[in-house]
Amino acid sequence: MSKCFVLLILFVNLYGATLEAGQWKFAEHRYKYKLEDVLEADRFVEKDRYWEAYKNQDLAGYVCLSKDWTRNLVGYSGKHMETLIGMNTEGVITGVKLIFHSEPIVLIGLKDANYLKFLKQYPGKNIRKDMTVGKEISVDAITGATVTAVVQNAIVQKTAREVALRTGLMNVSKRLGRTVRQEFTPLTWKELVETSAVRNIVVPAEELGIEGPEDFLNLYFGPATIPSIGRNLLGDQVFEETLGKLAKGESAIVIFSNGNGSFKGSGFARGGIFDRFNIEQENRVYIFRDKDYRILTDIKAEGAPAIKEGGVFIVRGGDFDPARPFKFNLILSYRVQTKKEFRSFKVEYKLPDRFLE
Amino acid sequence: MGDKRFNRRNFFKIVGAAGVATGTAALLPKDAIFAKSRKEGKGGLSQEVRPGELDDYYGFWSGGHSGEVRVIGVPSMREISRIPVFNTDVASGWGITNESKALLRGRAGGDTHHVHGSYKDGVYDGKYLFVNDKLNNRMARIRIDYMEVDAIVDVPNIQGAHGLFPQRYPRTEWVVLNSEFQTPVPNDASNKKAFDNPQEYYGMHTIIDAEKMEIVCQVMLDENCDLAATDYQGKYSMTTSYNIEKGVTISEMLASDYDYMLVFHWGRIKKALAAGKYRKVNGVKVLEGRKGRSDIVLRIPVPKNPHGINISPDGKYAVCCGKVSPTVTVVELDRIDLAYAGKIKPEECIVAQPYVGLGPLHTTFDGRGNAITSLFIDSTNVKWNIAKAIEAEKKGKEAKKENPHIVDVLDIHYQVGHIMATMAETREADGKWLVSLNKVSKDRYLNVGPLKPENDQLIDISGEKLRLVHDSPAYIEPHDCIMVRRDLIESKVKHRYEMFDHPLAVTKSGVERKGKKVTIRMTANAPVYGLQEARVKKGDEVTLIVTNHDEIVDLSNGVAISNYNINFVIAPYQTKSVTFTADRPGVHWIYCTNFCHALHLEMRMRLIVEV
Repeated sequence: MSKCFVLLILFVNLYGATLEAGQWKFAEHRYKYKLEDVLEADRFVEKDRYWEAYKNQDLAGYVCLSKDWTRNLVGYSGKHMETLIGMNTEGVITGVKLIFHSEPIVLIGLKDANYLKFLKQYPGKNIRKDMTVGKEISVDAITGATVTAVVQNAIVQKTAREVALRTGLMNVSKRLGRTVRQEFTPLTWKELVETSAVRNIVVPAEELGIEGPEDFLNLYFGPATIPSIGRNLLGDQVFEETLGKLAKGESAIVIFSNGNGSFKGSGFARGGIFDRFNIEQENRVYIFRDKDYRILTDIKAEGAPAIKEGGVFIVRGGDFDPARPFKFNLILSYRVQTKKEFRSFKVEYKLPDRFLE
Repeated sequence: MGDKRFNRRNFFKIVGAAGVATGTAALLPKDAIFAKSRKEGKGGLSQEVRPGELDDYYGFWSGGHSGEVRVIGVPSMREISRIPVFNTDVASGWGITNESKALLRGRAGGDTHHVHGSYKDGVYDGKYLFVNDKLNNRMARIRIDYMEVDAIVDVPNIQGAHGLFPQRYPRTEWVVLNSEFQTPVPNDASNKKAFDNPQEYYGMHTIIDAEKMEIVCQVMLDENCDLAATDYQGKYSMTTSYNIEKGVTISEMLASDYDYMLVFHWGRIKKALAAGKYRKVNGVKVLEGRKGRSDIVLRIPVPKNPHGINISPDGKYAVCCGKVSPTVTVVELDRIDLAYAGKIKPEECIVAQPYVGLGPLHTTFDGRGNAITSLFIDSTNVKWNIAKAIEAEKKGKEAKKENPHIVDVLDIHYQVGHIMATMAETREADGKWLVSLNKVSKDRYLNVGPLKPENDQLIDISGEKLRLVHDSPAYIEPHDCIMVRRDLIESKVKHRYEMFDHPLAVTKSGVERKGKKVTIRMTANAPVYGLQEARVKKGDEVTLIVTNHDEIVDLSNGVAISNYNINFVIAPYQTKSVTFTADRPGVHWIYCTNFCHALHLEMRMRLIVEV
């Protein structure tokens, strides 16, 4: 089957009677696209939610539409940013094209060209490698629109990786099958830290080149659903209420910190998305929304310090396994004098054996 | 915050030195209290106001679509009082009594955005507050002595009555009120051909006589008018306009790459009025202000969709905030006359356009040459130096890139609209406190359900850095505020009404019938009303007039009529009246709702509605 797809998109009328109340129509952008916009090929074969691209009869790679895979990842506007993604058989991204978005970047003095420039960073990046906002992916082109940047990054990364898993380009190891020990052991704060039940990230002000005598951020995180961790940190009531909010197979993590810096930031206040942290496991990215979050103001474990910020965050989807290693990404925003800077940190978490059967 | 014990020691030292055994604040010279009580060195103001102590500032907050004005003590941020304005207040009886109904004229709902005080020589004179109603297009005046509304003026030919500002010099004779929504003029059936033609929608800059509370005139424009300002010389009023496109959808309003700061020349307005150069629409003198048809309005192009406009306390500059542009535009007011005279182009009045950050909305001042601008998108307040911004502009692009004018940036929680510093809209801006009025308060308070409070944040601006000191929740939804030094207000506010200012003040209780109309006159003196019973017949139109005769300050009484949906409060020497139809036969207890006495519960009387 050889055919060249030219998909014509109905343009949304920006003016007049088609305006719907509460929609971000004024910020909407829809672009025409062809599959070869993201991967050079002479033939595309439609598969289940992706296309195989052939060049001179050889498989050249894959093309996919983000809305087929990561539709639930929505930006500041509450809508998915539809993205066309191409990658070669090595897992190297060959092209990324924005098809539709209604992110109101115009409100922050940005033009669509800035957004398109942001996306130009992806070609050449291998999806097997890290693609973290603030590290491998710079937000310079759309500074100020970090919610948009973080979600767009998650869309590209997760969509490409899901397709890679489907096509066999990447493998995902099956769950190890180790079970979490359900037996509860009371542990003090000191014990929780010493056993690495909670991991700690310390960012000294000095390292960022900013003023301040204390650590800019002293952050702890750990899996909230492991009884001997979660129940000790959160106390009986919050622990049980957290479990009560989970669907089958879902999990939650707990994060808290001290210092002038903030891991929550303010992006979630209006955008609903926490743009300063996310977790990764087996090539899947999990970003957190305000509706899956509960504020945490104190840690119950004996000897625990007072905290400035904290929260319990539910990992939705059911494919995250706290018994297996995961990575915690922190995208710290701070100011040197009056200039806004970003710094990313990636910390791996491995559940200590004592919490496993 | 801060070491209050140190304050106390200082405080008592002053008292001791003055040789007063039991010190009260009132015995001390104002300046002494002011200088010593809260200043703890540079940038270390204490927010604490202990039990029994008084705040340094009267804060007047608009209540947004609650329709009211709130009085907040600053820096404690305690809500001291609410002044009902464009609303119904079942506690005080505003919107229920005949007196308030006469002012509200059937519209007991409103949307207050801006509260400003009357001025003399660029400083508050403590006489009036003026507040807009964006919902029903009117302006109310609050007399500060009683902290109550004494006049409301309905403004025809406008919609979205938003920006409001009183004349600052030599005294407040005029108040300007802007219409944010362009509409047909007149906007009624006689002009129905304009309904579907937005090109025939107009904005208006309305001038109101502050004493008479009558409309002086309106200047008709193609543009809309957003925020308002007046200068410190009594020469101009100003506004920002974000819809020079005459758009009726967001896309259309965002179309043009520039919009205007509009300046209105008061001398020329007076001249045009004297020369009879107006037409009357709905009884109002409407002056021509459209481009090319009038010399009244000066149009200074600014980046598209600007928002706030504020005048520096030295009277030199107007600062327009960019909103969708990350800059503010600084206009030198001394150049305005040159532009009017055609000697320079309007855009040559601009002396700087510095970068401040994303989403600049409003600017306030510390009186030390610095401006503080609210950034809606960045969720910050940024402090910047006006002189340095102008200097960098002169030096050119490279110098500007370094942003030498920016002094400090503070994160706020979460989306800031208006900000205001103490006394910042006067010549006596004192650079002590800043209030950032933020929307969205997720996480900052105990969860009270889906509708969460706003978040007013108090910031110490007395030092170089901005220092967040306190969060206070606000019920929906203050927009703007002013903070007035207490010495300018305190002596003006009365403790008791003049009884006979009210023409119906009751000195002798009794019931009088004229046909179907019955007047019940009654005194109240805790714990008794002047009558133990009053008899009326079913169907009578009853007017109840009550005067509080209590000699004791702060001893108010309530008057509630069971099952008649009527309640109001009368302060000492105050008179209020209500008129209702006695349509429910039976015994209806009239009782006191405002706790007044050990026998408060016994303070009641029977209204007997006979069959």
